[in-house]
Amino acid sequence: MTTDSASQLGAPELRRPSVVGPGDITSLVPAGGNPTRIVRRQTARKALRSGALWGLVFGLYVALQASTYASQYKTPASRLALARSLSSSSGLNALVGPAHDLQTVGGFTTWKCLGILTVLGAVWALMLSTKLMRGEEDAGRWELFLAGQTTPRRAVAQALSGLGAGVVVLFGLTALVTVAIGRTHPVHLSSSSAVFFALAVTSGAAMFMAGGALCSQLAASRRQATAYAGTALGLFFALRMVADSTAGLNWLLWATPLGWVEQLQPFTNPRPAVLILIFGLSATMAGLTVTLAGARDLGGSTLPDRSSAKARTSLLTGNVGLTARLIRPTMLGWWAAVAAFGFLLGMVAKQAARSLEASSSAQKILLRLGGRGAEVKAYLGISFLIIAVFVVLISAGQITAGRREEATGRLEHFLVRPVSRVRWMAGRLGVAAAAVALGGALAGTFAWLGAASQHTSVSFSSLLGAGLNTVPAAVCLLGIGALAWGLAPRVASYAVYGVLAWAFLIELLAGIAISNHWLLDTSIFHQFTAAPVQAPNWSSGGAMIATGVVAAALGTVAFAHRDLAGE
Amino acid sequence: MTKAAIRTEGLTKRYGSAAVLNDLNLEVPVGEVLGYLGPNGAGKTTTIRLLLGLIHPSAGSSTIFGLDSQRQAVEAHRRLAYVPGEANLWPSLTGAETLHLLGQVQGQVDVPYRDELIERFDLDPNKKVRAYSKGNRQKLILIAGLMSRPDLLLLDEPTSGLDPLMEQAFRHSVFEAKERGQTVFLSSHILSEVEALCDRVGILRNGVLVDMGTLAEMRHLSSLSIEATFDGSVPDLARVPGVSAVTVDGRVVRCQVLGAVEPLLKVLANSGVHELLSREPSLEELFLAHYGSGDHGSEAVPTRDD
Ligand SMILES: Nc1ncnc2c1ncn2[C@@H]1O[C@H](COP(=O)(O)OP(=O)(O)OP(=O)(O)O)[C@@H](O)[C@H]1O
Ligand SMILES: [Mg+2]
Repeated sequence: MTTDSASQLGAPELRRPSVVGPGDITSLVPAGGNPTRIVRRQTARKALRSGALWGLVFGLYVALQASTYASQYKTPASRLALARSLSSSSGLNALVGPAHDLQTVGGFTTWKCLGILTVLGAVWALMLSTKLMRGEEDAGRWELFLAGQTTPRRAVAQALSGLGAGVVVLFGLTALVTVAIGRTHPVHLSSSSAVFFALAVTSGAAMFMAGGALCSQLAASRRQATAYAGTALGLFFALRMVADSTAGLNWLLWATPLGWVEQLQPFTNPRPAVLILIFGLSATMAGLTVTLAGARDLGGSTLPDRSSAKARTSLLTGNVGLTARLIRPTMLGWWAAVAAFGFLLGMVAKQAARSLEASSSAQKILLRLGGRGAEVKAYLGISFLIIAVFVVLISAGQITAGRREEATGRLEHFLVRPVSRVRWMAGRLGVAAAAVALGGALAGTFAWLGAASQHTSVSFSSLLGAGLNTVPAAVCLLGIGALAWGLAPRVASYAVYGVLAWAFLIELLAGIAISNHWLLDTSIFHQFTAAPVQAPNWSSGGAMIATGVVAAALGTVAFAHRDLAGE
Repeated sequence: MTKAAIRTEGLTKRYGSAAVLNDLNLEVPVGEVLGYLGPNGAGKTTTIRLLLGLIHPSAGSSTIFGLDSQRQAVEAHRRLAYVPGEANLWPSLTGAETLHLLGQVQGQVDVPYRDELIERFDLDPNKKVRAYSKGNRQKLILIAGLMSRPDLLLLDEPTSGLDPLMEQAFRHSVFEAKERGQTVFLSSHILSEVEALCDRVGILRNGVLVDMGTLAEMRHLSSLSIEATFDGSVPDLARVPGVSAVTVDGRVVRCQVLGAVEPLLKVLANSGVHELLSREPSLEELFLAHYGSGDHGSEAVPTRDD
C-alpha cells in the first residue's frame, strides 16, 4: 500500500513516515543533514580539523625560525657572516632550495621554511585528499550518497570543496601566525608580505590536494592513488633539486610545480604572477577530477586496471610471506626514497661541509661534535636525523597497516586456522622490523655511494653504522605501537603518531625552551647520536631496542587475551 | 566417552551488562548436521566466534573435539573450517592466490576436491578479489572452507548472496560432507536450507536457546493445523481438549490442535465432516511461533508448554 492510497483511505497519519525509496536518503543521514551536501560536510569536517592542526604546526615552525634568527643574529655583521657561509652551500641549496638575502629575517625564514614546508604540505595534502576521496569511496561510504540525488560528479565536486576548505584553513592559520610574529620586535615583517609568504608556503599543499583528488579518479584504489601522487611528488622534487644544484639547468625549475613555488620568492623578490601557474594547475586538476569522476564507474578506475592476473604464489605460504607481499609496493617506495636521500646527502656532503667550515658559529658546534677536520662527518651526522625520521615513519606505517588487518577482519582468516595470535603478531612485527633495518642499511650504503661518487673520504663502515643507527628509535616505536595496539586497538594509530609528534615537538624545542632531561628522554629521538661524527652509542641503541622488544611482547600478550576489535 | 564435536557449558557472553549469549549448553555429536536459527541479533555469530576463540566468554567454556576453544585453539582449528557470511579478503590477490594462501595456512588441502568445488561453484579463480561480485567473494570463502575437508564445518550464513543454482551446489556439498562423516554447524536464515540439510535444529532468541531437537520432535510438540468442512451444522470445537485458535468461515472451520488428536477426531466423526485437511507446521511456522513472541518479551514460548 502506498502512502497515497493510505491517505485516501482516511489514514492521514500514515503519511508521516514517508516511503523510503532508493531516491531518498534523508532517513540514512543524521537528523538535520541535507543529503545533497553531505559529502561536502563530511569531507570538510575532516579536512578542516587536519588543516587546522597542520596550520598551527606550519605557523609555529615559521615563527620559531624567524624569531630565533632575529634574536640570535642582531648585528648586520653577524648576519652577513652567516649569509656568506650558508649561501655558498650548493648541497643545502639542492635540498631546500637556493638562499637569497640571508642577511634579512625574511630571506632567512624563506630559505629555512619554504622548501621544507612545501614538501611537507604536499605530502599532507596528497595523503588527505586520497584518503577522503578514494578511501571513503573504497570503504563503500559513497554508495549511499550516490544512490540518492547526488551524481558522482557532484559528489566529487563537493568533496573537492571540502578539501579546499582544509587548504584555506592551513593557509589562514599559517598567515595568522606569520603576521603575528612579523609584528613582534626584532622580527619586523610587513603584514602583506607575511600573507604572501603564507600563500607561497601552502601553495604546494593546494596543488597536491587537487593532484591527490585527480589520482583518486585515475587509480583503482586508495593505495594506488596515493602511490601515483607520491611518485609525482618524488619526480617533481628530484627535478627541482637538479634544477637548483646544476648550473645551466635553472630553467628546469619551470618544469616542476615545486620550482614554481620557489619562484614566488616571498619576502626577497615577490613574484605574484607565478601564482597564476599554481592556481591554474590546481583548477585544471580539479576540473579534470570532476570530469573523470562522471566518466568512470564507482569503485573503478580511469587508467586500465588489470582485473585478472596469473597466480603468483611463491610468497603466499603464510602470514610472513603475505605481509611481505602486501607491503612490498609501499616499502619499495620508502626504500627508494631513503636510498635516494642517502645518496644525495653523501653527494653534497663535501660542499656542504665546506660552507660549514666558513661559519664561525657552525665551527663551535663542529668542535663540540667531532673536532676540526670532521666537517663532512658532522654534516652527515646532522643530516642522518632526517633519515631517522623517514625510518621511524616506516614503523608507524607498519603499525597502522597491521591494525587495519584486524579492523577489516582479514586477520580472522589466519586466526580461524591453526595460527596463534602470538605467532601472527610476531610475524607481522618481524617483517616490519626487517623493513626498518633494511631502510637504515640502504640509507647508509647509498650515502656512502654518494660520498664516494664525489671522492669524499668517509669509510663505508662508518656510514653503514650511521644508517643502522637510525634503527633503534624505529624499533622502539614499533614496540610502543604494538603495546598500544594490544591494549587499545582502536586508538593505536593515533598513539603511534602522537608519540612521533611529541618527539618532534621536544626536539624542536630542545635547547630553546626545554632543558629538563627527564622530559627530553621522553622523545624517541633524544638518544639519537649524530653518527657518523659521533660514534653510534650502541649501548643506548641496545637499550632502545630492548625497550621496544619488551613493549612489543607486552602488547602481544594483551592482544592474545582480548577480543578482536573491528573498526 | 566419545568426544562431542562441539560441547558448550554455561557459555555466556556479556557486553557491559547486556548478556548477548546466556548460559548456552549445547552438545553436537560427531557426524551431525545442526541447524542454528534465530532472529537478527539473537547471538548466533557470537556463539560461533566464541567457539573459534576470536572472542572470550564472560562465563562458561566450550570445547571442539574435546579441545578447549580458548586455550587449545590452534589444535582445535586444525580440525575445523569456518565460513562467515561476509568477509573482507585482500583485494590485490586473485581468487587462486587467496585459495593457495588459505590452504597453506590451514596446512591441508584436498586439491582435486578444491578444483571440483571451483568447477561446481563456477568461479573464475584468475580474477582479483577486488573485481569479484559479492556472491563470487562468498563462493571463494566457501570453497576455502570446504576444500580442506575438515572434521567440523562452522558455517555462519554461508550462502548469503548466492543465487539459487549456487544454493543447490552448496546443499550438495553439505550432503557430501555429511556422507563423509563431517560435522556441520549451520547458522542460517534460509529455513528451507535448514529443513533440507539438518538432523537437528536449535532455536536461539535473545541469547537463550529456546528450543532444540529434531524437526520431528519439534513438530510433535507443536500444533497441527486442521481445516474441516462440514455437511450440516458446525459443531463447537472450542471446548475440545487441545484445540485452540478456532475460526469459523461458513461451513469451514480452521483450528490448531496440540498434543493428542483423538478427542478432536471423535467430535469430527460425529458431526458429519465432509472434508478434512491436516497439515504439519513447516519449519517456517515453527520458527515464526518462536520469533513472533520476540516482541512480547518474556511471554511463554507456545510450543514448549508440556
Ligand atoms: N562488540 C560488541 N559490543 C556490543 N554488542 C555486541 C558486540 N558484538 C555483538 N553485539 C551484540 O550482540 C548481539 C548478538 O549479535 P550476533 O552478531 O551474535 O547476532 P546474530 O544472531 O548473528 O544476528 P544476525 O542474524 O543478524 O547475524 C547483538 O545484539 C549485537 O548488537
Ligand atoms: Mg550473525
